Amino acid sequence: MKKTNLIAGALALTMAMGMFAGCKPTDDPNSSSAESGKPLAGNYATKIWVAEAAVEFTKGQIATYNSSNEDGIVIEATVEAVGEGEAATQMTTDVEAGADIFCFAQDQFARLVQAGALSQLGQAAGQIVSEANAAGVVAAAKSGDTLYAYPLTADNGYFMYYDKSVITDESHLKSMELLLADCEAAGKNFSFEVEGSAWYVASFFFATDCKSEWTTDEDGKFISVNDTYNSPEGLKAVKGLHTLVKSKAYNNSSAADAFAAAVPSAVLVSGTWAYNDILEILGENLGVAELPSFTVGEETFHLGSFSGCKLLGVKPQQDAKRSAALHKFAQYLTGEAAQIERFNTLSWGPSNLNAQKIDAVQANPALAALLAQSAYSIPQGQIHGTWWDIGKTIATGVKASDGTDAGLQAVLDTYKAAIEGLFTMSDEEKNAFTVIGSINGDTWTIDLPMTKVSEGVWKTTEAYALVENDEFKVRQGKSWDVAYGDNGQNYKVTTAGTYYIQLTIEGEVGTIELIPA
Amino acid sequence: MTKYTELEYLKLSKWRKFLYKIACFFVGIPGWFVNLFKKIGSAFKDFGISVKDDFVDIFTTFKNGDYKTRLSFVIMGFGSIARGQILRGVLFLLFELVFIVYMIFWGGYWISMLPSLGTQGAIKEYDPIYDTYVTTYYDDSFKILLYGILTIFFIVAFLYTWRLNVKQNAIAEEILKSGKPLKGTKDDLKSLVDEQFHKTLLALPLTGILVFTVMPMIFMILVAFTNYSGEFDGKNNLFSWVGLENFNQMLGWSAGGVNYAATFGEVLAWTLIWAFFATFTNYFLGMLVAMMINKKGIRLKKVWRTILIVTIAVPQFISLLYVSKMFAQDGLVNGMLLDWGWIDKALPFWTDSTWARVMVIVINIWIGIPYLMLIATGILMNIPQDLYESAKIDGANAFQQYTKITLPYMLFVTGPYLLTSFISNMNNFNVIYLLTGGAPTNAAALSPGGSLGYTDLLITWLFKIAINDSKFYMASVIGILVFIVVSVISLIVYSLLPSTRNEEDFQ
Repeated sequence: MKKTNLIAGALALTMAMGMFAGCKPTDDPNSSSAESGKPLAGNYATKIWVAEAAVEFTKGQIATYNSSNEDGIVIEATVEAVGEGEAATQMTTDVEAGADIFCFAQDQFARLVQAGALSQLGQAAGQIVSEANAAGVVAAAKSGDTLYAYPLTADNGYFMYYDKSVITDESHLKSMELLLADCEAAGKNFSFEVEGSAWYVASFFFATDCKSEWTTDEDGKFISVNDTYNSPEGLKAVKGLHTLVKSKAYNNSSAADAFAAAVPSAVLVSGTWAYNDILEILGENLGVAELPSFTVGEETFHLGSFSGCKLLGVKPQQDAKRSAALHKFAQYLTGEAAQIERFNTLSWGPSNLNAQKIDAVQANPALAALLAQSAYSIPQGQIHGTWWDIGKTIATGVKASDGTDAGLQAVLDTYKAAIEGLFTMSDEEKNAFTVIGSINGDTWTIDLPMTKVSEGVWKTTEAYALVENDEFKVRQGKSWDVAYGDNGQNYKVTTAGTYYIQLTIEGEVGTIELIPA
Repeated sequence: MTKYTELEYLKLSKWRKFLYKIACFFVGIPGWFVNLFKKIGSAFKDFGISVKDDFVDIFTTFKNGDYKTRLSFVIMGFGSIARGQILRGVLFLLFELVFIVYMIFWGGYWISMLPSLGTQGAIKEYDPIYDTYVTTYYDDSFKILLYGILTIFFIVAFLYTWRLNVKQNAIAEEILKSGKPLKGTKDDLKSLVDEQFHKTLLALPLTGILVFTVMPMIFMILVAFTNYSGEFDGKNNLFSWVGLENFNQMLGWSAGGVNYAATFGEVLAWTLIWAFFATFTNYFLGMLVAMMINKKGIRLKKVWRTILIVTIAVPQFISLLYVSKMFAQDGLVNGMLLDWGWIDKALPFWTDSTWARVMVIVINIWIGIPYLMLIATGILMNIPQDLYESAKIDGANAFQQYTKITLPYMLFVTGPYLLTSFISNMNNFNVIYLLTGGAPTNAAALSPGGSLGYTDLLITWLFKIAINDSKFYMASVIGILVFIVVSVISLIVYSLLPSTRNEEDFQ
């Protein structure tokens, strides 16, 4: 009897979830709670960490949710002011004592997944989040293909603030060199925090189409990187960076008070969070614009940027009902209505596609500049935590260098060595072969292990279900220096089945065979 | 080298005497080590002998004892109760029971898990009914390590108590044999406030030290031999023992793999340079200021002292952060110099490695002098004035008076203070972290976590590794290395201090 009830309930819930995913939560009168007798109803003691500015706002949201949600969920919350960076550090140090729901900046995401501080989203929630938010933001909440967090804002990018009384000629806004000259002439500073943060250094590299793309597996572990900083394009980028840091107007800051410093700045590269403070300092002299371009030889490059977001995470719970209820609530906090409300009270730029379209958002000058810059921005995916430290040393290195090609190249070489140091492997790992490809539900991100059968013969440890037209290669040491496929091409599966993959190496030639399991 | 006799030594010139002393110091070093190893060897030997004696003693107690004594080997306290020493017996028995219950229900698990630090991490499962993921936690490496150590403590305490119990029986038998009465419960209680009073007094502090100092220290030391970090947090991903691998990475004695030895050497060198300058600049300048203010004929002495002491009154983190802002690239100092036209480009106070290193030392003088002035003032007033008067009569000039009277006296009294301030400067987190945060970044240095700067000391480096990158194991390794460096320096310097060598000099 009890069992049938349970199954019926589950069916009803799944059906309801299906409908739920399609429309807005409040549209359907026969939503899940009505049919299955509000399975989530109850009181939930919840600890919530948000940035100090958002504490009051969040309390208001909780009250609204408790009185309006139809699942009968009552969140009994203690809201504490814990900054986004601090929250991540505390969660990774002690998950048990951490908050149930917490906000964090996306660069902490992988670290949190690794530490098991984020619980995976359910299927329905995952679908809603993916559809409602901008693609780049959704990618930021994913490790591998798994969603672990709810996008809260999408305004973590940078653009340029300037003082209209110093930069009088608007045509100068397009050129970093002209802006630097204006600043130097006026005895003011050009503030760009390239020595303090890899986030800003990336601006120059993105301008010349360099990449630093990192891949994580579904546990938040970094498995590979595609980094092209150390390239001819990268050299152009550091030349631009050299122009900046060698200027006497250059100042390493991104804080609003640079405009009020003893040597005030006339230009500052920063993000939306600085807007109100700068407005207070500059008043009507405040100008906001996309980033300028820099020139190397004959070529000009428009400075790029990261576009990032803040996320909301739910700590893994041991009780399914509680977990589901907290996820429901998190979904509400990051939903369209809450994001619009948040923009109205805190001016945090929404990540929700519908919320982004409302007039007030479109009219906000800081968000407008961010939008103008967005054509040159790159969504900030998952990036190795140590990269932030390695990256910022580029600017320090460039500043200390003599500015010659060789000197600048040396900086890039140091950087490259440091990046490779992150994936140090034992000799055994360097010599081992692995299979990688669009197989086993993966898209060229996961290396499947192989074991050595005899000299020159390697075989996968497990058998995998392969489908027709699956493609893969076998590579050594997880790099492409030594890789085998089908005559240089990817190996293509012709008949579906469950196979072990075996590699036989004779001299220079490697042959791949599929051995049915 | 040839050893001089005392007479020959006294005949040497001043310069030769100094060289001779230094040479003696270095020639003596191998001797110290030989002595040290000899001492360690004999300590082990003594320990071995005492253990052997103990076993023999336990065995003879069993052989010669009556049934009460023999049963006490299994049921602790039986002998004491049977002989009328109820309180002792009950306590022994209670301890045994608590120990057995603890070991069966908890201790056994912690001890058995200690070698592996856990076998099963957290498991995440999908719950289709609620469409959500549920996590179930199993072993917790952190707790296993912590409670594992506690259990070992407990076992040692049990063995000690058991031994005590056996000894008690032997003593009781001997007393009874000699025809004297045994001490009863009342006598035991009385003795706790009488001849055993020291034990009553020390019980609480000793427990406190064990629980709050010794235990955490052992725990932190052991962390250096694991991979406890943000990634292997002990609950989701269990951490495990890695042996000396972390030390190998930091000091790099075996080729291949990551190696931070060069970075460690660099940071250690700067830490020592910093500690040297921070200690001695403060010491001599502070003394100078104190002497100037103490000089006869200086007016408004109290005003000068008060002005200097104001820097102590303002909390360091406010004054240091403010000074750091003042010297920033767009700060007050650069602004003024630019306005006056003295410079046409901001001075790189915090952005050039050499500038930054000199700056932290100079600013440290500013906050350190007042403390030294206070200490020196008191001591200087204590120097007998007749020493100076007779020196003057003998025709000594001010500098000679300083080197022959003031400095030796100061060094004698403040020698230990100098040593402790050198050590605390090595670990001077505040000044460095608040002034520069380690900046400017050292692009070439390879660090296990957190970018390393030119002004970073070992202690701020440790902080960055632990906080920015959650690599607790590496932080622990650095902590241990700092301890080793500090203790070596302390031992050498302490044995050279005049305060400990010539105790009678100024009495």
